[in-house]
Amino acid sequence: MIDRVLAAARGRSDAADAMWQATERTAVSFEAGRLKAAGVTEEAGVNLRVVHGGRVGVAGTTRLDAPPADLVERALASATLGEALPLVFPGAAAAPAVATADERAVALPLDALVDTGRALVERLTRERCQVNVAVERAVSDAAVGSSAGARGGYRTTAVSVSADVTRIAGDDVLMVSDYYAASAPPTAAELDALVESITTRLELGLAIVAPPEGALPVIFTPPGLAAVLLPLEHALSGKTVLQGSSRLADQLGATVFDERFSLTDDPLAPGRPGSRPLDDEGVPSATLPLVERGVVRQFIYDLETAARAATRSTGHGHRGVFGKPQAGYTNLIVAGSGKRGAGSVVFGGGLLDGIRDGLLVDDLIGVGQGNVAGGAFSHPVALAYRVERGRITGRVKDAAVAGNAYDLLKRIGGFGSDGRWLGARFAPSLLLEGVSVARR
Amino acid sequence: MRDRLAGALRASRADYTEIRLERTWSSTVAFQGRRLETATASEDQGGFVRVLHHGHGWGIASFTSLDRLPEMVRRAGELSRAVRLDEPIRLAEVAPTQADVALDLDGDVRGVPLADKKRLIEGYNGAMLAVSDRIVDTQASYRDEVSEVWYVNSQGTALHEVRPEITLAGVAIARRDGTIEKGLESIGLRRGWRSADGRAAGFRTVAERAVALLDAPRVTGGTYPVVLDPELAGVFIHEAFGHLSEADFVYENPQAREMMTLGRRFGRPVLTVGDNGAAPGLRGTLPFDDEGTPTQDSVLIKDGILVGRLHSRETAARMGERPTGNARALSYHHAPIVRMTNTYIANGRGSFEELIKDIRLGVYACGAFGGQTLLENFSFTAAFGRMIRDGALAELVKDVVLAGNLFQTLDRIERIAGDFRWNQMGGGCGKGGQFPLPVTEGAPHVRIEEALIGGDVAA
Repeated sequence: MIDRVLAAARGRSDAADAMWQATERTAVSFEAGRLKAAGVTEEAGVNLRVVHGGRVGVAGTTRLDAPPADLVERALASATLGEALPLVFPGAAAAPAVATADERAVALPLDALVDTGRALVERLTRERCQVNVAVERAVSDAAVGSSAGARGGYRTTAVSVSADVTRIAGDDVLMVSDYYAASAPPTAAELDALVESITTRLELGLAIVAPPEGALPVIFTPPGLAAVLLPLEHALSGKTVLQGSSRLADQLGATVFDERFSLTDDPLAPGRPGSRPLDDEGVPSATLPLVERGVVRQFIYDLETAARAATRSTGHGHRGVFGKPQAGYTNLIVAGSGKRGAGSVVFGGGLLDGIRDGLLVDDLIGVGQGNVAGGAFSHPVALAYRVERGRITGRVKDAAVAGNAYDLLKRIGGFGSDGRWLGARFAPSLLLEGVSVARR
Repeated sequence: MRDRLAGALRASRADYTEIRLERTWSSTVAFQGRRLETATASEDQGGFVRVLHHGHGWGIASFTSLDRLPEMVRRAGELSRAVRLDEPIRLAEVAPTQADVALDLDGDVRGVPLADKKRLIEGYNGAMLAVSDRIVDTQASYRDEVSEVWYVNSQGTALHEVRPEITLAGVAIARRDGTIEKGLESIGLRRGWRSADGRAAGFRTVAERAVALLDAPRVTGGTYPVVLDPELAGVFIHEAFGHLSEADFVYENPQAREMMTLGRRFGRPVLTVGDNGAAPGLRGTLPFDDEGTPTQDSVLIKDGILVGRLHSRETAARMGERPTGNARALSYHHAPIVRMTNTYIANGRGSFEELIKDIRLGVYACGAFGGQTLLENFSFTAAFGRMIRDGALAELVKDVVLAGNLFQTLDRIERIAGDFRWNQMGGGCGKGGQFPLPVTEGAPHVRIEEALIGGDVAA
């Protein structure tokens, strides 16, 4: 497919690159504990970019039966309006080895998805609770190529198991969820961890207690951390730096965060959702330190942002069927304690001990809707627990937490021993001091 | 296409089969600062099949290659048979309909050169950039779409629709030293090229506001009387209440059914709420939903009492109620699920000035950067706020996040003004991985007796 499209573009444009992707997916869903639906998906599409007269254009289609010349014409029309940019496509290069596909996932039959889901439903079922479970396996093939000679292709498998338990008592709704996502089917231990994660948070949430108030120590669990990390993800993107809206733009080499805090983008982590041997523009993958012991080290770039910033792509091009490639992270790893959470995981990551009165935040409402560029966040809690004298005393409702990620991450109260993967992110719990907690 | 669909239906051995095919032409032009970010035209096509064997679950297939239709109908049948259910899925009766509906294309965008679209959005982008040198960055985007949809089911419904859509969006980023603020313009219309004209003033206004917010203090966190402008009131009713009125939230859950029992008091007598998929000319408006059910005006809360909810054919049958035409799918990738269309708080009485005149200290929360709910908890980030002091609007404030509990907040809506308007915004609603679904919200100014505003905690 790639060769056909690039052949059609040859002679009509100065240079071109393309990505083809095809996905085949099977999924089952259990609603209120009952297997309700089974589905299959077959999708394929191709995205073409051309450089013509020094200008860049792009076009995409899912009509793979149409002649590739149509796609080329649309890309050329896009290029006549497009930006003049010294875009250089990478040539042939060796890509590192990384595990992205698991044979067991490829072969996983529908029955196995149903069995996994059913077992999970049984283990999570309890009185007055509704259990929803979804189990999915997908096999994707990707091919990338350019007129400069780059060619790459690889297969990815993705298995995901997600579960949520909703408990309604009067007007109180308690919803706890978690998921597993990796290239391989989950092991028994990984399913145990999923069940334990949900059960623990459900049981600790049965008692409702009054929220504390003031500037307090707050533990952000791995899922709770999203609001705090989002401003960093925004600021460490080369595109944001070019636009002038990155708070870290002029901070390369400067110590901006706690000296124990590191953030790494790692496309070479085996079997994770963001893992890949090369990016969607044909640039070989490499592990990239973004923040190292508090010091800002690198921004991420794709070919376009790199060309504009007169630097090199870091291999962070992401590309869908439609639209142009965009820079994005692969797998993000938060490290601080040096430990990668081996062994049994304690809720709160062992950070509860020193807290006289504070909060543990597991989920916030409205993440991403605040002033991400400035680092400020302010969210009501979706799932949070009060911590008193070193232990969780119950769930709090009607409370909101607020702060600024740049201030809070300057001095981190502690790194949990509960580091875990959550989709394409690995993080432990973090204890942050002086977070504003407001209540009704 | 019709013959192809009829043939595929005939070949299905399931008790119920439905097929949806879509072909979508779209174009996008986007600016970032003074730079053209992208200008591109796309073509997307695909199909969706859903079948039901009696006593079994749904078998579903989605695909991009239309040649695969017969095979996908067969696979969906197989999958349905693989799912055994003790309690069979039933579908509420809907009269079979044949219709060919082409909404007014209002200047078919497919005939307009990409260069003209670029010129249009470049002008709106320029209007934001010209406001001040404090505007360090902008984003302005134009997107249009014409989608042609065929829907058939084995009960005799056959629909063919052509739907236009146009969205314009602007973000203005103002910066001074470490302080960064934004303004957001968003317009979404189920119309064509002609409706995109003459929109510069809206873009200019949001850029001016972003600059003004640089000097505005953060609102002091705490509990206040709060007045919502129609835009935020619309987002509020959609997010905080609308999602709970979607029957798929309650139909399998006895406790949720109890919480949402029809006849329960949800607010004071001033409050009436509904969802109207048949309201003319709005973005959430469609003649039929994605199960072929005609859309309608469904009253959900009448004079403070819960009187209705939104249904698909499956949830309606399960709850012994009537389908409301709210089963919607984002695209051929997805199954229809219960969704809102155009959700509203009905008009009240009186002016905005009357609404605020007896508030000594309160917050006027305007516009929405976003909103999210988790069942009975919600959060909305207002675009900006004004303090209300001694019955009049006072200083501009920022970081106004409204948070709370749905039941308490609905019950505290004490007054509703008579200045209803639909908010024709872009963006859309997300649920079950289907985002952004075109919806509209509408409301008058709404006064809440007391609500929690997040922000700096008072020292």
